[in-house]
Amino acid sequence: MNAAPAKKGLGPLLLIAPAAVLIGVFLVLPYLNIVVMSFRMPGQGTPYAPGFTFGNYGKFFADSFYIMQVVNTLWIGFLTTFLCLVLGYPVAWQLARGNSAFRALGYALVLSPLLVGIVIRSYGWTILLGNNGIINRTLSSWGVIDGPLPLMYNALGIIIALVHVFLPFMILPIMSAIQGIDPSLELAARSLGASKLTAFRRITLPLSLPGMQAGCILVFVLSLSAYVTPSLIGGLRVKTMAVTVVDALIDTFQWPFGSAMALMLSVTGAVVVIIFGRLTVMKWKA
Amino acid sequence: MSKPFLTLYCLIIYAFLLAPIAVVVIASFNSGAFLTFPPQGYSFRWYVVFFNNEVFMRAIRTSLGIAAITMVISGIIGTMAAMFYVSHAGRLKETVRIAMLAPLLLPEVLTAIALLFFVYSVGIGTQTMFGMVVGHVLITLPFMFINVSASMESYDPSWSMAAQSLGAGRFTRFRRIMLPLIKPGVIGGCLFAFIISFDVFTISFLLKGVGMSTLPIQLFDYLRTNFTPEAAAVSTCSIVLTMAVVVISEKVLGLRIHRF
Repeated sequence: MNAAPAKKGLGPLLLIAPAAVLIGVFLVLPYLNIVVMSFRMPGQGTPYAPGFTFGNYGKFFADSFYIMQVVNTLWIGFLTTFLCLVLGYPVAWQLARGNSAFRALGYALVLSPLLVGIVIRSYGWTILLGNNGIINRTLSSWGVIDGPLPLMYNALGIIIALVHVFLPFMILPIMSAIQGIDPSLELAARSLGASKLTAFRRITLPLSLPGMQAGCILVFVLSLSAYVTPSLIGGLRVKTMAVTVVDALIDTFQWPFGSAMALMLSVTGAVVVIIFGRLTVMKWKA
Repeated sequence: MSKPFLTLYCLIIYAFLLAPIAVVVIASFNSGAFLTFPPQGYSFRWYVVFFNNEVFMRAIRTSLGIAAITMVISGIIGTMAAMFYVSHAGRLKETVRIAMLAPLLLPEVLTAIALLFFVYSVGIGTQTMFGMVVGHVLITLPFMFINVSASMESYDPSWSMAAQSLGAGRFTRFRRIMLPLIKPGVIGGCLFAFIISFDVFTISFLLKGVGMSTLPIQLFDYLRTNFTPEAAAVSTCSIVLTMAVVVISEKVLGLRIHRF
């Protein structure tokens, strides 16, 4: 006799129903609604007016200010991602392969910043980077600098703080990729005469590429869409696209134009991610 | 890289990761009127100011209330979804997983914007907490799902069938077999959902109604115009609260919380 298959009733479907409704109604529909919103007429005193137009996109492309802002935001995203990769890789390797007693502590240290609110972490950087901040004060008390270094209210400050905020998201995927590599592969290479460096370059590094790819995409997307950090560190002087979009929605109620800007940033970001994905897969196969 | 050099390098990165947090905590004990380093003296002066500041106190109550509501709703919906995923999803398994993780994979700011437009378009608006709570539930749902489904990894459907063949009804099977298995995942997920909801900024910022500032929003507003160490005292209390939740759940309750 066959084991009776679980009765196919409506019962199990009831389990998933609340989540399905929540995600369908309050995630999928609202995202589609952004696209609709970007074609709506700008309103006078209201967020939007009846009727549809391409004007919001026209306004975006007519003004080089917005294009430059997208370019700047992408550039900040690139640099943040690159720095996270370069700074994070050795730490990920140490967490995956190091046999020191530090490993559990190191893992906790990498994860714990994620438990502190983003506003607080950005606030910490304003204390460190400000003109009267710790770094400038210390350097001038040592007589290294005469005036304060411009560390805040510019792209440099934003990148430093973003690297800090997103570094764990780079370290963790690379760490699990390295953990998944059989250590005996490296030992085999060594026994065949490869130096430590060659074994790392030819075995560990290529095999950890998927982790690097995942980390890079994650950090890049997070950097493009970051709001709090660029807003607190950049102040009014340097704005990333996400900050401009949110300000346009909250302060001036330009919902249709804000949607068009948000979509242009998302599309550009998605194109970059897809090209990056293609390139890295090709490299991986080669 | 040689071993000692690598260790030193990692220590520098760990210091970099902790520096801004440590700086905030140290600054909160400053007895002076401004954020000077090293502090002019140490005192609890700014904690007293903070505890007497009704604006921040109200924000903390709002945050705790929303986090509690979010935790309960997200806990129930997420647990049910995880049970479906593990034992009933069948061919849809991958689809269900991606849909449940979607709020985590999509940029928070875009989700916040989308929800803001949506609650207005359907006439709900932001006069009530509804929009904000929905946003918080969405953003915490993936963590609930990850934790509960991870705790069911060892679940074998034949146990439930065995119980059924011995005459156990659906509810008894849930209570005696499923629940003891998933309990650590549910509690861990709920605690983590609480922390995420307590700390989340962008969703709250865009969906808050008048007079419904959560602690991170109040702090953000305060930081745009003020530079006293009071903000550091507020931040330190917030850090202590979230850390306490994690330490209690991992060390005292012995839970293993999955964050990814």
